[in-house]
Amino acid sequence: MKIHIFSAFVVGLVASLAALAADIEVAGDSAANRVAIGTCAGCHGPHGLSDVPRFPKLAGQPANYISAQLKAFRDHTRKDPDAQSFMWGIAASLDEKQIDAVARYYAAQPPQSHSSSASAEAVRGKTIYEKGIESQQVPACAGCHGLKAEGLADIPRLAGQHSPYFLDQMRSYKGSARSSDLMQPIASRLDARNLEDLAAYVHSR
Amino acid sequence: MIAMPIPVCKALAFCVTLGLALSAVGPAHAVPSFARQTGVSCEACHTVFPELTHFGRMFKANGYTLTSLPQVRGVSSEGHEERLSLNQIPPLSMMMQLSDTQLSKPLPDSAGHGESQNGTVGFPQQVSIFYAGKIAPNLGIFGQLTYSSAAGRVQIDNTDVRFADVWVMPDERALIYGLSLNNNPTLQDLWNTTPGFGLPYASSASAPSVSFKSQIDGARAQDVAGLTAYAFWNESLYAEVGLYRSAKQGTAGPLDSSTPGGVIAGAAPYWRLAYEYNVGRHSIEAGLYGATFKLYPDLGSGFGKELSGPSDKYADVAQDVQYQYLGDVNIFSFEGTRIHERQALDATFAAGKSDQVDNDLTTIRAFGTYYYRRKIGGSAGIFRTTTSTDTQVFGLNARGDTSGWIAELNFVPWLNTKFSLQYTGYSKYSGLSSNYDGAGRSAKDNNTTYLLAWLAY
Repeated sequence: MKIHIFSAFVVGLVASLAALAADIEVAGDSAANRVAIGTCAGCHGPHGLSDVPRFPKLAGQPANYISAQLKAFRDHTRKDPDAQSFMWGIAASLDEKQIDAVARYYAAQPPQSHSSSASAEAVRGKTIYEKGIESQQVPACAGCHGLKAEGLADIPRLAGQHSPYFLDQMRSYKGSARSSDLMQPIASRLDARNLEDLAAYVHSR
Repeated sequence: MIAMPIPVCKALAFCVTLGLALSAVGPAHAVPSFARQTGVSCEACHTVFPELTHFGRMFKANGYTLTSLPQVRGVSSEGHEERLSLNQIPPLSMMMQLSDTQLSKPLPDSAGHGESQNGTVGFPQQVSIFYAGKIAPNLGIFGQLTYSSAAGRVQIDNTDVRFADVWVMPDERALIYGLSLNNNPTLQDLWNTTPGFGLPYASSASAPSVSFKSQIDGARAQDVAGLTAYAFWNESLYAEVGLYRSAKQGTAGPLDSSTPGGVIAGAAPYWRLAYEYNVGRHSIEAGLYGATFKLYPDLGSGFGKELSGPSDKYADVAQDVQYQYLGDVNIFSFEGTRIHERQALDATFAAGKSDQVDNDLTTIRAFGTYYYRRKIGGSAGIFRTTTSTDTQVFGLNARGDTSGWIAELNFVPWLNTKFSLQYTGYSKYSGLSSNYDGAGRSAKDNNTTYLLAWLAY
């Protein structure tokens, strides 16, 4: 009798889950949602709002930028340490269609607004961001990233980004782990204090 | 040299053999085939192997199926249904543990001729081959075959075959659901608090260990087969239920009165409830788990072991808690569990092999771990098992109480290679601090220094 109960349990369980899976397939969840919510969220947080400083916030990032980065991970042309440790493998599992769909998903997510009071670093960072540093031949970041650091098309959104992540990326440009004809010379002209100030500013936006 | 009466030697040898047998095959571990399959470094899924990060827990809950490897594909003639998605490179990997064990005082010779040799070299202590990874679009496996020097043969080790899928709910939260077919209750669990993957992650196979364990605490490892169903909502609330049946190894079926060891009467229900909260670099988990086993006992020669009639009931209920801090430089974690087992030994008592029907056993383990840059670190913790008093069930001193502490230093030069120096100190063993064997041996004589090289490749 107990064995029959066990068998019934097994059969019932498998049948119920198979039926549930079939229903879900009919419901037609988008591939992007499944990848973004089922996989990416493990590091980048629900809706792309990572609260782990190592992993960037993706909510509100321009779709073109996300798509380009995923392809750079997949092609191994973006070589910063975390790209190699995490994203090379993840991106390799995505085809063009999935990359575009994931990019659109995150671009559509509302970004987090910050209302943190401006620290001394952030105030200095704001000046660099808006006006650049003429003596160091550093142009204003706002020229490309937007006055509100909201990003545009191929240019990433910086507003609200984690400071440690921002700093890691700027160091990667300096060390050529990330290649960009535009960003590498700019990053190399910024000293450590400039970068800290900028990181504080963009995080406060 | 210690001269001991032969009966005492035999009794002690039994306790030691039981302890060693229980620890002969270690727990399952992190495997490089997952890294090969995903193309993602070990540090994504592990703080330091085998402890899982949140991402590692998600990978496991999703059925080990995330892959970046080229696939052999097959689709239905209509082109809508994926009928095959198989890694072109099989997800294989190896693990080797090499060790040296030094006891504070040599164990008595098992045949009563003085002392055993001190300083046991395990070369290997254990070698495992894994097939671990995706086997179909929603199906993955963690399969392990192990040769251990203590067993002297290759055995089936921890195995978890898993179906998983994700339902994106209308509010865009994920509900991961799945099935696990496995051979060790708690092996399928996502946190390193439960016995299947709990601390200490490695221990000597030639040193005395805790002789009396609850059923859910490894006593039924690789001795059962269970099917469980789980759901993980929003990467935070986890629930699982399932049933286990006896699946004896080395015994031709059907199971009958000649089957050694306890046989489960019917099926043993298993359950798990846990909640995980992640904020910033912090991850906190608290949960409950348990199982109830009704076993036809193995009472030894002279007693019938018919697989009918009265059985012994072991009801295990446990609490667990985990905290992890994952910094870029510093990593800290704490894992703790308390397992309480209520034993109703109707069959054993009826055969006159226990003093009473009702007994209980409680185990507590708590460990803290720190790593600097995932390279140098260590763990420290305590373990304590207490039992009720029963001269026939809990050995020479009527109680199985065993307690002590473990401290471990680890050097991880590469993410898949660990060198450990572990010290285990006992304050109580088999119910007593001193003369627990009736021949003058103290608990602290079992203090163990254990040197381990752990290679996963």
